[in-house]
Amino acid sequence: MDLLRRLFGSHPEENEGAERPLPPAGEMFEPVEALDLEAMEPPVDEEDTQPLQTRPLAPPQPFQSAIRRIEYGQASDVGQVRDNNQDACLTMVITPELAGGPPPIGVFIVADGMGGHHDGELASAIAVQTIARHIVDGVIGPHLDEPSERSSDQMTIPEVLAEAMSAANQAVQQRVPDGGTTATCAIVRGDLAYIAHVGDSRAYLISDGNMELITRDHSLVRRLQELGRLTSEEAEVHPQRNVLYRALGQGDTMDTDAATRRLPPGSRLLLCSDGMWGVVGDDRIAAILDEVDSPQEACNLMVEEANARGGPDNITAVLMQMPD
Amino acid sequence: MSDDTRRIETDEGPLSTPDTSLQPGQVLTSRYRILGIIGMGGMGAVYQARDLHFPTVTKLVAVKEMINMAQDQQLRETTMKNFEREAEILATLSHPAIPQIYDFFSFGDRAYLVMEFIQGKDLEAILNSTDAFLPVEQIRQWGIEICDVLGYLHNHEPEPIVFRDMKPSNVMIDHHRRVRLIDFGIAKTFQMGQPGTMIGTDGYAAPEQYKGMASPAADIYALGASLHHLLTRRDPRLEPPFSFHKRPIRELNPNVGEAFAAVIMRAVNYNPEDRYASAVAMKQSLEGAGGDGKMTVVEPGTRPARPQQQPTTRSSQAAVPVSQVPDEAVVPVPEVAPVESSIEPIWSFQVEDAVRSTPLVHNGVVYVGAYDHNLWALDVKDGSLLWKFATDDGIGSSPAYAGGTIYVGSTDEALHAIDVRTGNRKWLFKTKGRIYTTPAPALGLVFFGSDDGNIYALRPGRTSAREMWSFNLMSPIRSSPAVANERLYCGTDLGEFICMDVSGDLRWRFETRRRVMSSPLVHEDLVYFGSDDWYFYALDTDQGYPIWRFRTKGPIVSSPAMGDGNIYFGSADGFVYAVEALGGREMWKYEVGEPVTSSPTLYGDAVYVGAVDGALYALHAQTGELLWRYQSEGPIISSPHAVDDIVYVGSDDHHIYAFQA
Repeated sequence: MDLLRRLFGSHPEENEGAERPLPPAGEMFEPVEALDLEAMEPPVDEEDTQPLQTRPLAPPQPFQSAIRRIEYGQASDVGQVRDNNQDACLTMVITPELAGGPPPIGVFIVADGMGGHHDGELASAIAVQTIARHIVDGVIGPHLDEPSERSSDQMTIPEVLAEAMSAANQAVQQRVPDGGTTATCAIVRGDLAYIAHVGDSRAYLISDGNMELITRDHSLVRRLQELGRLTSEEAEVHPQRNVLYRALGQGDTMDTDAATRRLPPGSRLLLCSDGMWGVVGDDRIAAILDEVDSPQEACNLMVEEANARGGPDNITAVLMQMPD
Repeated sequence: MSDDTRRIETDEGPLSTPDTSLQPGQVLTSRYRILGIIGMGGMGAVYQARDLHFPTVTKLVAVKEMINMAQDQQLRETTMKNFEREAEILATLSHPAIPQIYDFFSFGDRAYLVMEFIQGKDLEAILNSTDAFLPVEQIRQWGIEICDVLGYLHNHEPEPIVFRDMKPSNVMIDHHRRVRLIDFGIAKTFQMGQPGTMIGTDGYAAPEQYKGMASPAADIYALGASLHHLLTRRDPRLEPPFSFHKRPIRELNPNVGEAFAAVIMRAVNYNPEDRYASAVAMKQSLEGAGGDGKMTVVEPGTRPARPQQQPTTRSSQAAVPVSQVPDEAVVPVPEVAPVESSIEPIWSFQVEDAVRSTPLVHNGVVYVGAYDHNLWALDVKDGSLLWKFATDDGIGSSPAYAGGTIYVGSTDEALHAIDVRTGNRKWLFKTKGRIYTTPAPALGLVFFGSDDGNIYALRPGRTSAREMWSFNLMSPIRSSPAVANERLYCGTDLGEFICMDVSGDLRWRFETRRRVMSSPLVHEDLVYFGSDDWYFYALDTDQGYPIWRFRTKGPIVSSPAMGDGNIYFGSADGFVYAVEALGGREMWKYEVGEPVTSSPTLYGDAVYVGAVDGALYALHAQTGELLWRYQSEGPIISSPHAVDDIVYVGSDDHHIYAFQA
């Protein structure tokens, strides 16, 4: 190719176009046909007979693992205004490569703590740890068991999640009586996502360019919106938009929202605190997710964006992506 | 004055730091010596002070401090003007339940209101001083007194005065045991948005108040909310806002009379026009709602309360669907359909014994087995007999059709293959046990289970069948196999649920605690079935991994039906359930009252199911409302089947019925 370019002083294809007339044959240089291009490279069948001759390596075939891997990322930041980060998050992915083994499983948790001094960060940390511990015992363990051992003694994932949230509620109540926290938790096994949720952190399902909010904020303004008393525009500026009516650590009993969703191949699940969704906004989050392939990079970018917009609250994003 | 005890603020505002409060000994306007803090409000402190104009006696006053939080200068001035105007109005009021206003003044960003010091206890403190229910009659009297003072305020000329902050902690019971209103909503003038996420709502405030609309109707709502709290001991600040109708008073406190409860539920109606038109009207109702609970005063010209939802047909589960709020205020309450509508069968056909088999419809003919030993073939149009085929014992299972052949199992231990055109036997296949399962024709084979413990796979021929394989499961099989994606699923009387390849290899098993007679349903990669252990299960087809389970209060023999993302089944606990297929969340349940062993079928918008009470029920698939029921003369164990707008079902009364769907 370089040879041709040197000969014609431009890209070869351009000379094939009808708009530029070919120079008259023999006037300036040897006609193209006279060049034996074939002879400049060894014929392919001679390859074996000339083992010592160097030649460019074939482009490396990237190794493709057969396993359907869950990709994920996470980022949590104090923001620009607060003194401490009261958000907490946790991710845990098991990717077995075993004959006849169970499918990959992922656990994703985001919590946004509230309370003076260190109560908020303590509440969210205790909640996340308690929930994760219950999931390890109730879901991860049985998940690794042989299929033949399954019985109704085993709790289902929704049952474990309900129990985990309830235990976290008790733990926060006991250990941080003046604190509270939101908690949004997703377990992904196979192509099902099991979600448990209390408070105003959120879970979004992003699939085929659509971003769908799959949790419901337990906030006063959201309730007023649901009842048709407020428009979403009014809710955005409502003086009491930060008031929650349900959170972990507020009473002996607590209702947990639960949902199970099927995750299409390549879809993404985003969990985030209100310091993310309330600051960056759905459209911009969707745009970032559309631009960036790597879940970790997307999380970093989303946090940067929230900080660029003033970072008024703690910012947390956890993003998981289903294999294609 | 324990305002907002459950409220948490992330940012400690300047108000809650004590060093900004006045100290004991400080004297305001050379007249009021601060003695101490009575309480902390959202806008500032309330102090106990002594009026120094009375030097020889101790005259106590309450001094309410409000700090102007407005940042904008213009707003600050407006706020202060509003305060002064409202203080002037308050000072002119005269009602035994309203504390006297003595004075008001302001310094810089702080305004002070000097008023009568009331000795006593507020209603929240009274409620918190015991774990027992407060006397109902006492609460009713308080309600009447509060209505009286609200009526006074609302009828104020030239403009009604709205209290704006009615809640138990703002109502004092003084040492004369009289109701006194404290903390007029004047403080709200100062309320601004506060930073940081907070937990805990006002709980008592009417929905329209959050749009800044304070009206007498909002006071009525808040009074209803306060009385609801006092009667039920359920703090509305810890519940989803505007959810009083989810907590019927008499369910939580049976001591409350029906009429009293009705007055309160009307006061907390979501729409202002559905509440009492005035505090005076509410007072009249309260006065008439004493004693035996009968309403003795009926207001003329008032609208009746909205009909509430039927508790038995709605979800009573705690979990609320995500992105969907099943609330009395948003879900339109449907008109209740006439329960005993005049549904009559298009035709019925009498046989000689009970019909528990599910009718099969093929090509204009309905096929159904009966305990009279026969398989009956009837014309779908009028139920006229086309042919019948006799086995040697009762038929309790249902027929299946494939390739010109009707297959049916009988308690004579044989599977019978019958020519669909002639009604003549093609062949029979003997097992060593009674057959109660419905055969599953698939992939050119016929699969069925027998009481001899075997699952059989037969290859049907013209005059005989060849056994391809059989697999022994060590216990009778009453659960009819489902075949999907080259796999077979069924339950056993030992409580196992199994998955096999159609080639006869066991893939996985799942143990329930009791026998499984319910027949599985496969949808996408999940398999659904019920068990005698009272649970309904959803397992993944690949490994038998439990996706969810749903507990009823009785054995589940009924086999599931599916539609619109829901699974429908009956239980021996007397309910028909609709459960979300993917999440296992209850969408609705319908109370029959007697066991439901029949399996539901879905057709159009309706779920059809029989029950041991002898009735066939048609329920709305989305809401669980009863559309109609038909009472037969015997239990309906048979599962209905619907084709071309006709529903077929058998009954133990020896009849096969056809209804318009």
